[in-house]
Amino acid sequence: MMNFQSDTPAAESEPAGAIASQLRQWPIQLHLISSEAPYYQGADVVLAADCVAYAVGDFHRDHLKDKSLAIACPKLDSQQQVYQQKIKAWLEDAKINTLTVMIMQVPCCMGLINLAQQAAAESSRKVPIKSLVVGIKGEILQEEWL
Amino acid sequence: MDKYLNQGIKDVIQAFPALESILAEYDIGCGPCNVGTCLLKDIVEIHRLPPEKEQALMARIESTICPGRENQVQSPAPTTAAPAAPKERIRTYSPPMKMLVDEHLLIKRWLARIPDVVNALSAGPEKGRQLVGAGVDMIRSYADKFHHGKEEDILFKYFDDTSEIFTVIYEDHRQARQHVQAILTGLETSDHPAIGEYLTAYGALLTEHIKKEDEILFPWLDEQLTTSQVGELYTKFKAADSQSGVDPEKYQAFVDGLESQFIDMGVAK
Repeated sequence: MMNFQSDTPAAESEPAGAIASQLRQWPIQLHLISSEAPYYQGADVVLAADCVAYAVGDFHRDHLKDKSLAIACPKLDSQQQVYQQKIKAWLEDAKINTLTVMIMQVPCCMGLINLAQQAAAESSRKVPIKSLVVGIKGEILQEEWL
Repeated sequence: MDKYLNQGIKDVIQAFPALESILAEYDIGCGPCNVGTCLLKDIVEIHRLPPEKEQALMARIESTICPGRENQVQSPAPTTAAPAAPKERIRTYSPPMKMLVDEHLLIKRWLARIPDVVNALSAGPEKGRQLVGAGVDMIRSYADKFHHGKEEDILFKYFDDTSEIFTVIYEDHRQARQHVQAILTGLETSDHPAIGEYLTAYGALLTEHIKKEDEILFPWLDEQLTTSQVGELYTKFKAADSQSGVDPEKYQAFVDGLESQFIDMGVAK
């Protein structure tokens, strides 16, 4: 357990006014989405671990803008073989342009990267896959093309 | 100082020869460059040194060019909008850039065998001519059409390819094609010394050229590409490969054959 309340930046440094959402689809949970939905066709897809959007302060602006999204938790979600098939369908059927997998720095989150890599290995079509590892204070710790 | 920051590196090194070794200390190998028209300020920027190293380098450049002004040094302002690298970012090529770097590996294996092919030409002209012919086929089909084609027709079009760094790369490609033309002329006229001379020059040129691309140009371009552009490039590269009519396995086999012939014979180490 960690408490870094005192490290939170002062409110004065935040931009004034409402911040527009960059989300352009619904649903977003990986069990609920259809891989062949129109918003995945040829898209740059972000597959984010559930906690990521809470940790990264500028998630919408820096990572979601102009992207399509799905979220999942590799630690708690069940039936993850379905996830693997859905990711494979993104590559083969929706012919996505890129896949960016965003995970937290905690070890259990690596499962989401593994799922994406296994799906890519099984897929007949390859696309660039990038991994971003997020620290618990929202910083990008690692960014790497897989 | 500003005057020199905006001058081609070859001219600056000619005026201040000590700069060549200073730049080399920071892994900036401009000395052997055939073209040398990159501006000094762009060279410092494109190498993306850590701020403290860049400051130290600029101080040494300043003290060489304008002795006594070491403390007035300012690093050149960045001229591109490339974002600063995140902390502890792992340097990996994007998949399309990795395709080009992987192709370089095969080309470098061929370049490493050029001295053996030149020796073979001296020892037995008929066999040597066959090897040179096959090597020229690899240069024209694989290195130029298959590989440089993707760079010139696709990748470089994502950038302002009239800037100095691209001028240098295009000039390397042009000189390489000139060398190949001279080798073909040598084959037609049976001028074996000329073949050896131009093949050796080609090897030296391409070795330096690949180093520039792998270590400097491609990482710099990767920093500027968006994720979406990386995906586009990858798709375009795959399409270009399948439409090229070039079979990479043929050239893999050619290089494998050269290596088994010369390395296994103990000609090369």
